[in-house]
Amino acid sequence: MLDATTLQILTESAKYDVSCSSSGSRRANTNGGIGNASVGGICHSFTPDGRCISLLKILMSNDCIYDCEYCPNRRSADVKRASISPEDICELTINFYKRNYIEGLFLSSAVFGSPDRTMELLTETAIKLRKEYHFNGYIHIKGIPHCNDDLALKAAKYADRMSYNIELPSEKSLKLLAPQKTKNSIIVPMQKLRSAQLYDKENKIKRNKSIPAGQTTQMIIGASPESDGQILRLTEYMYRNIGLKRVYYSSYVPVVQSPLLPAKPAGLLREHRLYQADWLIRFYGFDVEEICGNGENLSDEYDPKCAWALKNMQLFPVEINTAPLEMLLRVPGIGAKSAYKITEARKFGRLDFDNLAKMRIVLKRAKHFITCKGKFYGSGSLSSIKSALLLSGAEEHNEQLSMFSEPTTALSALSGEL
Amino acid sequence: MKIYITDGTAEGFYTAVYYAYRGGAMVTSEKIVQITLDSEVIYLQTEIDKVKRVADKIDSIDKYSCGDIDLALRSGNKLKEQIALEYLRILVKENRPVRAMLNHPAVIQMMEIINKITSEAHNMKGFLRFMETESGALYAPCSPDNDITELIVPHFIRRLCNTKFAIHDLKRKKAALYNGNEWFTADVGEAEIYLSEYEKAFEGLWKKYYASVNIKERPHEKQMKGYMPVRYWKYMPEKNQ
Repeated sequence: MLDATTLQILTESAKYDVSCSSSGSRRANTNGGIGNASVGGICHSFTPDGRCISLLKILMSNDCIYDCEYCPNRRSADVKRASISPEDICELTINFYKRNYIEGLFLSSAVFGSPDRTMELLTETAIKLRKEYHFNGYIHIKGIPHCNDDLALKAAKYADRMSYNIELPSEKSLKLLAPQKTKNSIIVPMQKLRSAQLYDKENKIKRNKSIPAGQTTQMIIGASPESDGQILRLTEYMYRNIGLKRVYYSSYVPVVQSPLLPAKPAGLLREHRLYQADWLIRFYGFDVEEICGNGENLSDEYDPKCAWALKNMQLFPVEINTAPLEMLLRVPGIGAKSAYKITEARKFGRLDFDNLAKMRIVLKRAKHFITCKGKFYGSGSLSSIKSALLLSGAEEHNEQLSMFSEPTTALSALSGEL
Repeated sequence: MKIYITDGTAEGFYTAVYYAYRGGAMVTSEKIVQITLDSEVIYLQTEIDKVKRVADKIDSIDKYSCGDIDLALRSGNKLKEQIALEYLRILVKENRPVRAMLNHPAVIQMMEIINKITSEAHNMKGFLRFMETESGALYAPCSPDNDITELIVPHFIRRLCNTKFAIHDLKRKKAALYNGNEWFTADVGEAEIYLSEYEKAFEGLWKKYYASVNIKERPHEKQMKGYMPVRYWKYMPEKNQ
């Protein structure tokens, strides 16, 4: 059985990967097997940093041949090294799974030996779990850049989700900070996996689909000079052209001393704003052009939807009883759930302001942009609306700061274990 | 005012609905009720023909509402029968499905208690913790707010189809037992459990994992407790050092 110290080293090296989701796959249990995947994902525990534990997230090894500037496991770093065998990983996964500690395995690794050898061992572990242990729970495998395409495509047959971390938002920054990686070594395998998914779809393949839960990626924000506009264009490209499920952002924090890296943390508000913009692109029908110019950054003061609405006041206020769903979704403060509730409830009769409040729809921001039965409850002038929104934004801002206190030591930027 | 007291079953409730539907009568399964001077307490026996008449009527208006009622009656809310009754009054009055009629307080209340039950069932799919016993069977104690054991058993059977397991609701003193083939519930007060020799070792590894995956420098206990309320910690090894 695995010893506690090894588990500790390999967990601590893996914990900076932001992704923790176990959603997107409907994998069923097999006859005599153990486990299945729940399409909505299940959180099994929460750590005192407020994050969810859904998968057993560990590295196979943290002994890396690369020397990426920002990474705590880079070759030149002075950290304890450890590795774990496929057998030990399988045994741990099965035993955690049957006690209902986890939904499955998130397996990643530093590059040891060669990229091919690393990917081979990750794949071997997944195959062992599926074939020898008959495990049908969730498996997320990290793609290793520069490994042979066939190896990654083989892994995709056994994993529910795979991810190649793009790490930095431009080729130039990648060259500077992670010279062993290139844009092509990350984007091309993503596209290959995408083609495998599309192939399954076109040929109506139902069994042993490649990565049924799709791909995700992660990038560090603020270690390099790209603007939010540039980052969001890259994000939009990955959602719409490579069919990614999620792009994760992690705000840069200087832990590693380097002349190539900024001395100041990027701030968690920026990360937060990027996530808000990301949601608008995925769920609210916004194009990146509407939210942020190419060389521009998102507003600190207003969330991206507010900022957009303030620039487009000619579209507001909208009447809550008649506005189409697409327009309700564009009202600041009204989320997807609230918009749906409104469209359902108004079939039974016209809604007034009081009804909305009783339906638990938050009106602090929305009231400036809507009318109920023709009545307007917001502030009269654009400037008073702006100051009211700033005030509610400031509350949110404070919340943000307390949410991520002590950013100086936060290590969230370090996702570099591949 | 008439107060109908039921035995707590769905059938008992439907019988009560038959009598209480007209007029301002109340329905409850609570053993102790507050009464006023003019109230008349009536203990009801289930009457199968009344159950059928009420259920048929509900079905004819909305085929999903009986399912909603069954769910709502699992609630830990003391007013659950009353909330369900008022929901049915609107359903019959409107004579169409009213689930989405969220500008009506009775519908909001009904949907709120149902939401609490389904979300607790979802949470327990994550927070429930099994222990391996000497015989290899798994045992999970819990004490949920709502009576959700039956709702989560099929989920665990799909996952652990070859393993015997028991989910024990200590608050309601009942357990769901799965023998690898079929399952049933039984009244179980206390259970004596003999753990397998590996149990403590894996529990220890899990605690180690839990401690290691946390990022100490970004504390946010409020969020942790929001997502995973303290009342569920009792049976989670990682929260009991």
